[in-house]
Amino acid sequence: MRKLSLLLVSLMMLMSIVAGCAKGSNQAEKPASGAAENGGKANSGNKTEVDFMVVSTWADDLQALATKFEEQNPNIKINFVSLPFRQMLEGIEVQMNSKKPSFDVFMVDGPLVSNYTVKGFLEPLDSYFSNDEKAKWVDASLQAGSYDGKFMAAPMNTSTDVLYYNKDIFAEKGIDLPAQDPDKRMTWEDTVELAKKLTFDQNGDGQTDIFGFTFRQVGRPYQLLPLANSLDAEVISKDGFTAQGFTNSDKMVQAAKFYYDTFNTWKISPKITPDETVEYFATGKTAMMIGSTAYIKMFTERGVPFGAAPFPYFNGNKAATPTGSFHLGLSSFSDKKEAAAEFIKFATTGEGAKFWFEQRNELPASKEVLHFITTDPKFEEFPSSVFRLAAFEAQNTAVPRPVSPGYLEWESLLTKAYEDIKAGSDPKKALDQAAEQSDRLLKKYDSLKK
Amino acid sequence: MQAMREKTYVPYLFLFPALFGIIVFKLLPIFQGLNESLYSPTFLQGEKIFVALDNYVTLLKDPVFWNSVKVTLLMNVVINPLQIGLALLLALLLNIQLKGIGFFRSIHFIPIAVSQPIACVLWALLLNQEQGIVNSILVALGLPAQPFLGSSEQALWVIIAISTWRGVGYWSVFLLAGLQEIPGSLYEAAAIDGAGRWERFKNVTFPMLKRPLIFVTVTDTVINFLMFSPMYILTKGGPENSTNVLMNESFNSAFQYSDLGRASAIVMMLLVLILIIIAAQFKLLKPKH
Repeated sequence: MRKLSLLLVSLMMLMSIVAGCAKGSNQAEKPASGAAENGGKANSGNKTEVDFMVVSTWADDLQALATKFEEQNPNIKINFVSLPFRQMLEGIEVQMNSKKPSFDVFMVDGPLVSNYTVKGFLEPLDSYFSNDEKAKWVDASLQAGSYDGKFMAAPMNTSTDVLYYNKDIFAEKGIDLPAQDPDKRMTWEDTVELAKKLTFDQNGDGQTDIFGFTFRQVGRPYQLLPLANSLDAEVISKDGFTAQGFTNSDKMVQAAKFYYDTFNTWKISPKITPDETVEYFATGKTAMMIGSTAYIKMFTERGVPFGAAPFPYFNGNKAATPTGSFHLGLSSFSDKKEAAAEFIKFATTGEGAKFWFEQRNELPASKEVLHFITTDPKFEEFPSSVFRLAAFEAQNTAVPRPVSPGYLEWESLLTKAYEDIKAGSDPKKALDQAAEQSDRLLKKYDSLKK
Repeated sequence: MQAMREKTYVPYLFLFPALFGIIVFKLLPIFQGLNESLYSPTFLQGEKIFVALDNYVTLLKDPVFWNSVKVTLLMNVVINPLQIGLALLLALLLNIQLKGIGFFRSIHFIPIAVSQPIACVLWALLLNQEQGIVNSILVALGLPAQPFLGSSEQALWVIIAISTWRGVGYWSVFLLAGLQEIPGSLYEAAAIDGAGRWERFKNVTFPMLKRPLIFVTVTDTVINFLMFSPMYILTKGGPENSTNVLMNESFNSAFQYSDLGRASAIVMMLLVLILIIIAAQFKLLKPKH
């Protein structure tokens, strides 16, 4: 009897382990067997489900785009995996390194196309897009989506930033509003003087209540590199393998010192995170904010008394504005490539691209939609006229971020340096450390040098 | 003879599920990590190359790694004695027979019921540099506002304080259980011998508490050496790498710097460091009875 019960216990244990393992392997195999049965497409009922990794701040707009796509493609369903920006980048690394079809389509920041290509994350899109279709994007966006002669990620849109200002705070301080005309572009020096007047303690509690100025993307190279670009700095070596002497050049340090001063010397900027800046501006706690055209719709809907002026430049130097944006990449591990590519094509060309512009309000990468902005009379009136300003910047002052196979490492370290500078670190010391560590980390890409 | 054989394998049979779990979820990942630390990524080909101990050699020459070792050790030298000392004090207080002690025993446990990420976000709001509640109170009292997590001099101490706020209640529960296990007759005997309050603590409470204390010390040390989420959520290792503990640097290596080899090498070195410290703790705190 005792023997029997022992045997039973052992059998049950063994079975539970076998069942557990079998369950795991079944789960892993399921998409593959589904794919085999359905000609390369995994199926849920009659629909092919495409998983889409997106940045959370864009998820609502992308949901509208996906719904539009699903109306026209009833056999395909788009599922969202939504994460905040930094976590999305990490999520892509984690899931792609598992080499499993965790998601099929993902958002790729323009400068990361090269990094994701060399790591084998992206499936080339050349077979899904004809040359005519590719020619419909502005050249800078097409180039940003290509690496080593291959087309790797389709541009959703490009981007341009403007200087938003709060009309009520300007009126309270009796300051004239900045002009929207690029010919009357303010210098950074003028902007700082204005910001000093617009920084004040409203309720007399000894703490600053209204700040003069903030970058929307505090600490992120996307918005801070144009400071150095205005001084004509080369931010990394041309081949993208060396940071020393570039990332910590005198001009980069000069630009970083300006950033330092906004927080620590002039104290015109609040020491907040990128997640807080839009609310600070929208609720009237910041008088001016550098931000993308995507906020026009939100500020209008919320009744924010805003105006927009061109991105400032350093006196005696050139105007430089940020550009580039997200592309859509097809995962090289996807087992639903056809359906995923169909969605990518819809979202980035023709009717889908136009719908996307109207939904998201980011400056389009499609020549057709850009033409629509520059010719349609509805873009003469404020606030739509800001898109005209954005289109001008994209064609005249935009400086793309550098190309490097190690862009992710370089950008992460530079972001860290800018965060330290905000906290009060010496700009030169912070950039020196970033450049030094960056060069150490970029060494692993040496085999890609030509 | 047959009964003897049964007796020898029965305990192992019952241990098997736990051992299986330890092998699959603990030992196997350690060996995988060790294996991974001997490789470096290559690009385009998608293959990794065997580099033997190169990752370790590079790490030993890397000032960022040494800074992380320094930060990890500094944090643990402070946080472990602080948490264990406060937990012991709290346990002693909660062991006093008072009316309504059950209520006090319950409320000190509340911080642990708040998950680590939520606790971090709440504290980040309270300690916000721009008009956070703590700074508003400081300014109202005529004191200067503080940068807290935005300062390389304060950030690590703030993280230590938040973790201690969360951890003390938890660890004190184990010590309280230990205190309640000590027979009252020992205290009576000590009192008859004329032992004062301190003498009783030194000669009865502390020696009798060594078993739960060693458990708390070892577990707390391991948890604190592997602590990662407050740094990830609150400071990302900054400012100026002042909170960049080894776990954070390993995470960055894997998921920002695309170098799983470096990340695994850091974890392996952290593992060795923890093993040495735990061995020392066992030796020092080994109960004599």
